[in-house]
Amino acid sequence: MEFKDNIPIYFQIEQYLYRQIAMGKLKAGEKIPSVRKLALELTVNVNTVQRALQEMNAQQILYTKRGEGNFVTEDTELLAKTKQSLIDNELDEFVQNMEKLGVKRQNLASTLEDYLKRSKDHE
Amino acid sequence: MSKLLTVKDLTYKKNQKTILKDVNLNLTSGKIVALLGENGAGKTTLMRIIAGVAKNYKGTVNLEGATKEDERKAKLSFTDGLTGFSDSTKIKEVDRFYATIFQDFDENEFTELRKFMHLDPEMKLSQLSRGMREKLIIALTFARKTDLYLLDEPFGGIDAMARKKIINSIILWKDEKSTILISDHFVNEISSLLDEVVIVKDHTVLEHKSAEDVRQNHKTIEEYYESFYTDEDDE
Repeated sequence: MEFKDNIPIYFQIEQYLYRQIAMGKLKAGEKIPSVRKLALELTVNVNTVQRALQEMNAQQILYTKRGEGNFVTEDTELLAKTKQSLIDNELDEFVQNMEKLGVKRQNLASTLEDYLKRSKDHE
Repeated sequence: MSKLLTVKDLTYKKNQKTILKDVNLNLTSGKIVALLGENGAGKTTLMRIIAGVAKNYKGTVNLEGATKEDERKAKLSFTDGLTGFSDSTKIKEVDRFYATIFQDFDENEFTELRKFMHLDPEMKLSQLSRGMREKLIIALTFARKTDLYLLDEPFGGIDAMARKKIINSIILWKDEKSTILISDHFVNEISSLLDEVVIVKDHTVLEHKSAEDVRQNHKTIEEYYESFYTDEDDE
């Protein structure tokens, strides 16, 4: 995992974990790796991982069991919401890039459909 | 985050040449801090003074109440560069020497670190590559149980694999309470590890900032560091 050095690392760790959860690599109720293991895996400071996990605890996507570590929430509604916001972020970026290329909003859906059809033909 | 080290109004001259001038620096416990500056800026001298190796400075250096050089030496662990050992000394002999000299040197911890670094205790210092030598120095430094570790340019002239090993050893062996001060003139390889950055320039500490605060302003640590030197390039 490579981090951008001009964005707070704790924030990027959060984003990374949110993705792991959204992709099902970390499941509802599952224990996430220990702070030190994450630090080693991501080559970051233990303090920075702790800060990211604190933020995620505050947002209730993670919860802490004393002496056991951090676990992914079992709140399926919250998990769905989290996943949706990740999708929205990606779409936001997509829409902005398309607009920069001169594709109007009202033509986005048809442009995308057309593309999907064409790329399917190539399979 | 309790107070660990206070350097106050530190000035140091050698042969009438000013090496450090009006240095003020405060470190709290539990941090990884980079001491950044060009060669000759005074980083090593500052470390040597904090470590209690360089004497006859003006100002005070207080490490948890210890202000005398010998007291500080006992309370911190400094990468000493293996000076004083002959080339034929074996790693296990260096180990034994450290265990005799430092009460807080944990031989079991050293063995673990040595294995982690893939160093053979029977090897002589003359047989070590630069990277292996640096890994040995780090293993010796971390095998002591102190609240402050001073690593003076641990990444100078070593290959990427040795660097990675040293970085991982920092993540694995640093305990919650201790602070590690790492000097370097190049920040990229360690920037993701840092809690704080201290800039040394013109023989003094110019700025001391949280790494995440630098990033919060959409700057990389490298850009931040280089911003202190751009004026000179323009001239």
